[in-house]
Amino acid sequence: MPNSSNFSEPQRQSLIGVVVLFANTIQKTIRAFWPLVLIWMVRIESMNKLVLFGGTFVVLVLLALFSYLQYYYFTFHIDEETEEFVIQKGVFNKTRITIQLHKIQQVNINQSLIQKLVNVHKLEIDTAGSDKKEASISAISHELALALKERLIALSKTSNETAVDEISEIEEKQTFIAINLISLLKIGITSNYVRSFALILLFFSTILENIQKVVGDEVLDENQVTNYLDSLPIITSIVLVFGIFFTLILTVNLVRTVIKYFNFTIQKSRNSISLHYGLLATKNILLNPNKVQKVTVSQNFFQKKLDVTSVKVYQASSGEQELKAKDQIEIPGCSVAERDKILALLYQNLPVKGKKFKPNWRKLAVNLFFFLLFPIAITFFLNWSFQWIEWDLWMIYSLIFIVFAGILVWFSFKNYRLFVSNTFIIKQNGAWDIDTSIIEPYKIQAIETHQFFWQKVTNIGSVSLSTAGGTISFTTANFDEIKQLVNYWLYQVEISEKNWM
Amino acid sequence: MQQQPFSNEPLSISDLPKFETVPLQPLQKKYFKVIAFNILVFTIFLFSGISIAYTMFIEEFTVMTGVVVVGFPLVVIVIILFFARLGFRKKGYAFRTHDAIYKSGIIVESTTIIPFNRVQHVALHQGFISRKLGLATIELFTAGGSTSDLQIPGLLLADAQKIKELIAKKINPAATENVVSIEEENKPQSEANDA
Repeated sequence: MPNSSNFSEPQRQSLIGVVVLFANTIQKTIRAFWPLVLIWMVRIESMNKLVLFGGTFVVLVLLALFSYLQYYYFTFHIDEETEEFVIQKGVFNKTRITIQLHKIQQVNINQSLIQKLVNVHKLEIDTAGSDKKEASISAISHELALALKERLIALSKTSNETAVDEISEIEEKQTFIAINLISLLKIGITSNYVRSFALILLFFSTILENIQKVVGDEVLDENQVTNYLDSLPIITSIVLVFGIFFTLILTVNLVRTVIKYFNFTIQKSRNSISLHYGLLATKNILLNPNKVQKVTVSQNFFQKKLDVTSVKVYQASSGEQELKAKDQIEIPGCSVAERDKILALLYQNLPVKGKKFKPNWRKLAVNLFFFLLFPIAITFFLNWSFQWIEWDLWMIYSLIFIVFAGILVWFSFKNYRLFVSNTFIIKQNGAWDIDTSIIEPYKIQAIETHQFFWQKVTNIGSVSLSTAGGTISFTTANFDEIKQLVNYWLYQVEISEKNWM
Repeated sequence: MQQQPFSNEPLSISDLPKFETVPLQPLQKKYFKVIAFNILVFTIFLFSGISIAYTMFIEEFTVMTGVVVVGFPLVVIVIILFFARLGFRKKGYAFRTHDAIYKSGIIVESTTIIPFNRVQHVALHQGFISRKLGLATIELFTAGGSTSDLQIPGLLLADAQKIKELIAKKINPAATENVVSIEEENKPQSEANDA
């Protein structure tokens, strides 16, 4: 459509984009009805093939028709009189989205797997302020997307200065950091165990529950599994269960990390930074160093040995209140050198750890009480009243737990530190994954101190520092020192002429 | 952003103004009536719920259950009232040249400090009872999310308006009357120094 590139007339998306809409509709339908679909798949033997395939066919045709209608009723154009970008859509419920051009902050062009297959792109418009409505065009050709992006930016340029950056960003880019597959693999096998474990557990429990609801215990008999495990020596069965879970977690981790972050590159142009990544769906994110409020670097013992860390960058939210996911950018698997390069890019100079502050020993005592004594006491009383297991066994389990929890609590206490220098506040915490959060004092929005009434005697208290990208808090420390720091930070914020964003 | 060399003359941290020694203003005495009224509304709801339950299970009520069902909530309300009174006395605020301080809490004593040059906008709230008593609540919004917004209740309306204007002036000296415009004008500035 060469004649349509001035965008003043309402126009539709690429016709081939119907495929994308179709895929999206199918995806939504499956997501809504997936337990049902699963049941069909399990009982496929016993079902009438004609009804099954006929029904599926009819549903597909209906969905296709719906997708075509979606395509047909979706139009977009630029209204130059009112200076608005207008999207009209909806088959049954008509929606008209208008965006004032001067409010446009970013125009992103992304591509998902399906969009890649049919060679169309998704164009998303990011606005300033608390506008809840999101504007995106999900199937548009690359040339048209670029043309529209340029046009939108040119039109919003007059009143918006960020747009000027966008233009220059198109000019030239140089690759700043490219994260290779090896680093991703390293991160994949060393992080997110808990999250993947939860995912796997959730996945299996949902599937099991749904299967059992339909077919009863015929297909998967829990007793069978337990019987089989009982027939093995106890050590073997523990190793077996543990091994299966561990392999699953590792696989899930590896696959997730590689698919999500494949070919992670950071590109730098004159005054903006952009990130590209993704194997199936490519993401394209713009990072504005001025908007960065907090940076968290995390590394565990294995990762230290393998020289990989992950860096999380928290930008000021574009929304009024809540933090949005897109304002948190994760850079997985960079080496220490790359991490320093990124930090230097964001902060001009490398953050230095200043004066060290430690928590009071009572923090250790409190944590030992809540995470060690308390659980043991609960299991003791429960076992005492219900006699679940033999007391010898309880002793063994408790000992294992004490050693395990004790180590974790000790390390989380040992790693809990606050470093304060003139230009940086760095907080370090964590037992296994050690997080180092960095903020700059002049980006503090509010300071809050807390003290339990019984802490007055021992002169202990806590402080939390809010920024537009998240909060840092330091608890159970010398309250006099905290108050002195608060006075110093307030002074720094209040004399600061720098813009925090 | 232009990197300003952070001039740092020998500055004795102990000479800096101390937030913890600032004398705090108590809230208006009248404000306790608002708190008491809220507790009263809660009490009425609670006991109407209990009486509905009473009419439904009338046969199963004995003197003993009656004492428990009425007595226990009463004790709870007295405790709530007691803590509200105690907490009310603990609350205090102060406005310094550059920031607002608000202290509250019985079990956890917390002090919130918001520098004026981080305030995005200011709002005044007046509830039904507050309006009758001529009181108002002032709320300072920052970009730090809802946890870092500061609400100071129990101010005289006239004072609250004065404070609001004062802060509005500090946020943006150009616009003094229209506080709403401040919110909008603050934003474009923030991206203005990319060079």
